[in-house]
Formats: sequence, structure tokens, C-alpha cells
Amino acid sequence: MVKFFLDGKPAEAAEGTTLLQAAAQAGVRIPHFCHHPAFPPEGSCRLCLVEIEGLPKLELSCSTVVREGLKVWTETDKVLEARRSVLEFFLSDHPLDCPICDKAGECGLQDYFREYGLSQSVFDESKEKRGKKVPIGKNLLLDRERCVLCTRCVRFGRQVTRTEELGVFQRGLKTEIGIYDDTPVSHNYSGCLAEVCPVGAITDTDFRFKTRAWFLEKAASICPWCGRGCNITIEHAPGFPRVPGSRRIYRIKARYHPDVNGHWICDVGRYGYFHLDADRQDVILAKGKILEGPSSWEAVIRFLGARIAGLRADKALSRVGVVASSQLSNEELFLVRRLFLEDLDIRKIFLADPQEGTPDGFLLTAERTPNRKGAAEVGLKFGLPDLKSLAGELDLVFMFGLNLFDHFRGEDIRIFLSKTATKVLLTSQAPAASEAFDFVLPTAPAAEKSGSFVNIEGKVQGFAPVRPACGQALAEWDILLRLAKAVGVNAAFYSGLNGLDDIRQALDREFPLQTLKA
Amino acid sequence: MIDTVLTENYGMESLKTIEGYLKCGGYKAAAKALRDMTPAQVLDEVKKAGLRGRGGAGFPAGLKWGFVPQNSGTPKYLCVNADEGEPGTFKDRFIINHNPHSIIEGALLAAYATDIHTAYVYIRGEYEFEARLLERAVQEALTHGYLGRSILGTAFSLDMTVHRGAGSYICGEETALLESLEGKRGQPRLKPPFPAAVGLFGCPTVINNVETLALVPAIVLNGSEWFRRRGLPQDPGTRLFGVSGQVAKPGIYELPLGTSLREVIFEHAGGLKVGRILKAVIPGGLSAPVLTPDEIDISLDSDSLAKAGSMLGSAAVMVIDQTTPILSVLKIVTEFFANESCGQCTPCRLGTGWMDKIVDRLAQGQGRRRDLDTLDRLAGGIKGRTLCPMGDAAALPVLSLVNKFRGELEEACRE
Repeated sequence: MVKFFLDGKPAEAAEGTTLLQAAAQAGVRIPHFCHHPAFPPEGSCRLCLVEIEGLPKLELSCSTVVREGLKVWTETDKVLEARRSVLEFFLSDHPLDCPICDKAGECGLQDYFREYGLSQSVFDESKEKRGKKVPIGKNLLLDRERCVLCTRCVRFGRQVTRTEELGVFQRGLKTEIGIYDDTPVSHNYSGCLAEVCPVGAITDTDFRFKTRAWFLEKAASICPWCGRGCNITIEHAPGFPRVPGSRRIYRIKARYHPDVNGHWICDVGRYGYFHLDADRQDVILAKGKILEGPSSWEAVIRFLGARIAGLRADKALSRVGVVASSQLSNEELFLVRRLFLEDLDIRKIFLADPQEGTPDGFLLTAERTPNRKGAAEVGLKFGLPDLKSLAGELDLVFMFGLNLFDHFRGEDIRIFLSKTATKVLLTSQAPAASEAFDFVLPTAPAAEKSGSFVNIEGKVQGFAPVRPACGQALAEWDILLRLAKAVGVNAAFYSGLNGLDDIRQALDREFPLQTLKA
Repeated sequence: MIDTVLTENYGMESLKTIEGYLKCGGYKAAAKALRDMTPAQVLDEVKKAGLRGRGGAGFPAGLKWGFVPQNSGTPKYLCVNADEGEPGTFKDRFIINHNPHSIIEGALLAAYATDIHTAYVYIRGEYEFEARLLERAVQEALTHGYLGRSILGTAFSLDMTVHRGAGSYICGEETALLESLEGKRGQPRLKPPFPAAVGLFGCPTVINNVETLALVPAIVLNGSEWFRRRGLPQDPGTRLFGVSGQVAKPGIYELPLGTSLREVIFEHAGGLKVGRILKAVIPGGLSAPVLTPDEIDISLDSDSLAKAGSMLGSAAVMVIDQTTPILSVLKIVTEFFANESCGQCTPCRLGTGWMDKIVDRLAQGQGRRRDLDTLDRLAGGIKGRTLCPMGDAAALPVLSLVNKFRGELEEACRE
């Protein structure tokens, strides 16, 4: 550790830490635009200048590394004057269209101006006119008047995706960001460009003009769309049921994790939030009829528990099938195993995952399910059912999710279902053919429940609900636990489980996933 | 008779060819160094000579060479900076035109001293004729065995390529030159690391001005003592002063460092044109702060000019007389730097543009006195706060013009 002085107070930081990082660690925020923790120092915005005792000029805090005994001052008159001066230069070339700018409320320029109390402008000249909505790629619009030329977007294309669609063109006041040969950004990380932009220069058409940043609540979650398990922040507006046609989830942003996704997420995850708002299964359907009222879940569980108990009494559990999915959490997959495989000795347990895709070579994996590794860890390595040979063999089937439709023709599934006496579908998305099931039970997707996934690299990552489950939906672990208690099998075990924490402890005892943690 | 180092034989048409150069003692220094001296001895001689860079910053050349690591395990490069973009400066062009081989020999000696085997001459695009002259000289040196493999029968080799720039002022800044040479957008790099450690293609690199290198053969051949007989102890040798403006005899004058500015203007350049009265002098290229007539009894060397708040820079002396409005000088300054700012860092990109817009308004008769205060404040906001020295280059002349000629500029204001 290197010991130095920050604004007169002793501080320390690891060797090689820059002054800007070290100050941030000590809770001192130094304004900056071009610095981004993912990239090496750029030193072009000149906003992060600080005073170092013994040096005549102000120095860049983003590129100067801490040294033993260094005396750094971040708020002296000289520093503040320089900061105001640089901000004044920025203002001289900024349109001040904050009232119609998507970035307002979360804009570096806006924040710094407020903080440093600049109000009087002496700029009497005419401002440069530049392109206000230049399409630069998928979902991206560039406003060159708002751009502060921090070049984070350019460096993203050079250093992260290595696609280099963006570059700096012209010079002096005419300097601008643009795309080479009019080849727009088309890779799977385009949304990151709007996210790295510190001002409202690159905006995302998916978010543009939909809401204001300050209306949004933010909560941490894990992306469910592939095996990477990228850490995300879901930004949403409170309130459900929502006004018809409005949005509940407004955007998803990357949440920094040094070992999983760094600062980035792919577009599949970023824009994959519509399932949280659209086509939700939010009511219990029994024989096609909505089951309403506070006791509807009890009634359904009581019926299904009795159905299983009856088949068990008749020694007909071989006529029960379960189609699970690795979109379920570790806790849920554990209950699937305990209840159906171990306690009821049901052998017709299958795993249906979404169809695999092409990995993009960076974050997005071939598997398009968040927990295949977790499923394997709790011993659910089963494959897809053979629907043709299974048709007519079952009296009761539990289907978790709609993934079978990814692998079989609708006709085959319909025939299979028609030859099965009791069909139970647990889903968060409304199925196209709900009438084919006896029960359609609404469930909570990852963003609406607690649980954990094991990512493709074996990292266990927990998540908590961003929003309460919509409508009547319940988390699958909750349904499974209620069902286990209703069946009455292994009562000693299940009566000890009174919530997710208890399930997690039981899971840890039997399958200590923590050992997988990096 | 002035004791010259460079220009003794200038004007001889044959000097432009290798035969003429050899007849005048050319490549003797190279032969002496490669056959009888170790690289360390060459480096030492240049260090002892106290040769300071002639490009503008005045950094000691020997010290610069010494920064290059001996065993880097990577290629090392020498760049000859022939970008000569500073307005008013035409000395490098003069050398190339008169004696191209002295640059090649100087580069050969620098390369030998630093164990470098690849050299690039980065020449500004506008020097079309000079570039061809240099290309021809390189070809001649190659055929005569002063470049290429086993030079002068020794194991030393040096390849040299002439590369033309595309006309950007900033590419004369050494790291922008490297970026441009690498085929990238010409804009300065954040330092450190310095080019001696991480330069061209990420390898250790020496960058020297044309005039600096052209002086090296004489130093190696005649010794540092001989060189130091001219000029000042802390700034030895001669410089090519490029005098332009309202003087009787504009041109290049090779004079020892320490010659007074008054002597340069009134003796060597023949004084002002008939009937003209001196108003101001820019002593070292457009980016050097202006001096008033009562400030010209000054020794022309880096330290004296720095003490007077100006700089020797490229030693381009621009003489301004009473018929020239200071506002038009100011307009030339702000317009030039606003045009040439690479746009990378904020104070330079936006500050130079803003200053030029104000001066433009002043020039159209729409100025107000408070605009002069704004100019002063904006230049102050650029000075010392930019990524490369161009910020100072743009700000310092504005500060000096606005403050030293405030009265005249106020008269040009509407209110």
C-alpha cells in the first residue's frame, strides 16, 4: 500500500492506483468525462486536474499514479478555477437542451454545472450547428451538439468489441464523432455505447423519449438469457397493473462485476426485458377459467396434492411426468429433485431448455438458459422427453415453462397433451394454447423472485426480486414447497422448510454450491 | 566574418548532390565516428557540445539520445522532424534546399550513437520539392554506401524513409508525428510514457529537428570545444534566424546564440523598410509571445527570452511595423490555432475556437472592451491545462498581444 495525503488527510491506496481512483476509494469524487475504469487513461477532457504540492502546473488525476508521501489537493481555488474554466469551455459548445434531453437527471455535464455553480454565460458568439440525430447503428442516435468528445464510444469500439465503427473526424471546433464509410454499429453490444456516453450524445432509441431518468427505480438482478449470468441493473417505474400500453421495465444496464461481465452486457440481455411486461401469465387458469380470490392457490395446490397422493396410493407414480428447465433457480431445481425424484421416486423427469444459439465470442454463450450448470450440480442432467412414446403413458404431467415448444411441433405437443389426463403448466408467459392444459399456473421470472444461478464458469450468483411478482404469480419454489406439503410425503423434511432461506440451507447441506465460487 | 557551422557553403548548386557534399568534406564525420569512435564517444561529444534542440523546445539533444534504452530487445527508431509548421519558420526548408546530405549524415551519427537502424524523415506535405530533394539524397547516400547495410565497410546499418505529412500543424508535435507516421489520426499522445521509452510502433524512439541533426556532423568532426566557441555557455553554437516581415532584407541568418534581437533586425536584416517604424517583434515563431520595441535589446537564447516572458522557439523573427494593425496580427494568431487545434482536448479545441470567434467579431468592428477581458481569461484557461504544448502555443501570443497592445485594441472596439 502507498501512503499519501488527500486534501491534507492521510490516505492509502494500492500501488499503481491513479489519483482519481484513489480519491474515489476515499470517497472524494473528482469530475471527469474521458476517464472510464474499463479503459487506460485518455487525459483529454482536462476536467480531473488536481494540485500536487511541489508541482507548478495542475496534474491529471486520471493518469497520475499515487506515490509515497504525495500531497494531493482536489478542491483548492486553483483546481476549482480550472474546473470551472473547462466546464465553461464545454458550455460554450453545448446546446443546453436539457429539457428535451434523455440524459437529463443523470448527465455528468448537468451535474457538474450544478455542483460548480456556473450560471452566468459570457459566450456571445453563435454556437456551432451540428447533426442532432445522426443514426450510427442499431438503436443508436448521435447528437453531435451534445457530444463532449470524451471518445469513450470510439475507444469501446477499438478496445472492447474491436470493431472500430466509430472514429473522430475533422479537427478544432469542427471535430466530431462519426462512423467510417457509413458502416453502422451492428454488433451485439451496441447498447453499451449509449451507456458509456457520459452526456446525452448517444441515446438509445429503445429508451429515448419514453420516460425521465428520475422516475425510475433501480434494482440489481442477474440476466437470465444465457449462461454468462451478467450482472444487470433493471430500471423500472413502480406500479402494477400498469396502464395499458405503458411500460413497467424501461431499461436494463450493465452492473459492474470484475469476474463475470466487467462493465458490459450484450444487446440480447439489454433489450430482453419485454417478457417482464408483455404477454404475462398473471392469473391462475383452471380448465380455461380464471380462478380468482385469495384462496385460489390453496384450492389448486390441494387438488394437485391430492392427485399425486392418489396416484401414489395406487402405486401409479410411474404415470407422472415432469418437464423441468434450467431456467429455474438452484433452489427450485433442488426441490424438483427432492420432491419428484427422491421422495416420490418419479423417473420420468426431463429437462427442456431454450434452443441453443450461436455464441458471440465475448459474453453471450451458446446456451440460452441461465442455470444449466446449476441443474447439473443438483443432479438434473436429463434431456428432452420423447413425446411420441410418452403419449398415453402419463396421467399427470408438470411442465415448467414453454421450452418444449422450442423443440417439438405444436401438433406433437397437442397430441401428447390430449392423451395425458391431467396437464399442469407453470409459466410466467401466457401460452398460445392455454386450453390444452388443465391448469396454467402463473410463475415469477428471475426479476420477480429470489434465488441463485450457477453461471457457465461455475460462479454462484444470488438475486433478489426487482419488483413483486405480477398478478397471482408465485415463485416456482413456493409452488413446489406448497405442493410437497400438500402431498404429505416426507413430512418431517418439508415441515422444517418455511421459506427460501430454509430451502437454501437444505440445498447447501446436500449440494454445497459455494465451493464452486471462484 | 561570422563563424558559421552550417551555412558556409550554402548556395553552391553542387552541394545538393552527394559528389558536391563529399567535395566539401561531407561524410567525413560519419567516417570518423563509425571507424574510430564508439557510439558512447559520439553521444558524449554531442552531450559535451551542449547542443540544444532547434525545433522549439530547446531540449538538450545528447540528453534525449541518452534516454533511449541500450538493450530494449525491440527495434528502435529515429525520426527526423521536418514538419516545420510554425508560422514564420523556414529554416529547415533552407537546410534541405541547400544541403540535404548534412541531415542524412547527422541522422546517421545520431543513429550510430543510439544503436538505431531505422530512420524516418517526416516532412510536411507542402514541402513537395524538398521531399523529392531529400528522397534523391537518400537514394544517393544508399548507392554510395552511407545508408543501407554495412555502412563504410562497418557492421553498422541504417535504413531511411522519407514520409510526407498531410499538412497539419500538430504533426510537428513529436507524439502527434508518431501517430501520423503510424498511419493514425495525427494527434498528440498523453505523456508519460515519453517517446524515448514508448515511441513509434510502441518502441523507443528519438525525434530530432532537421537543424539539430544538421549540426551534428560538424560537432563530431571538429569536436565539442570547437562548437562551443560560438554562442553562449548554456546555449552554445549558432542558429538559423529566419527573419520575415517589414525588414529591408528578410531571410535566413546563421548567427551565434546570444546575438541581440536589435542586431538581428537592424544590422543583419538591414533594418526596417524605408519609412517604416517598428511596432512589435515576434521572436520565435507565431506561438512566441510578442515583444515591444523597447524589449528588443535582448540576447537571443532560450533562457533570456524565457526570462522576458517569450521564447526562442524556432528562431523565426517576425517584424511588425506601425502600418500593421495589431488586431490583424491577433486575427492571424487565433485563426491559425483554431484551425490547427487537433480537437482532442477540451481547452484547446473549444478555447481556440471561441477566441477566434471573438476576434472575428472585433475585426468586423463589433468588439467591446469587455471582449478583451474575456480573451485574456480564455487564454488563461487554456494556458498550462492542455494535453500537449499547443495549448500554450495558442494562448501565450494572445495573452501578450491583448495585454501589451490593449490600448490599440480598445480603439478598435465599438464600445
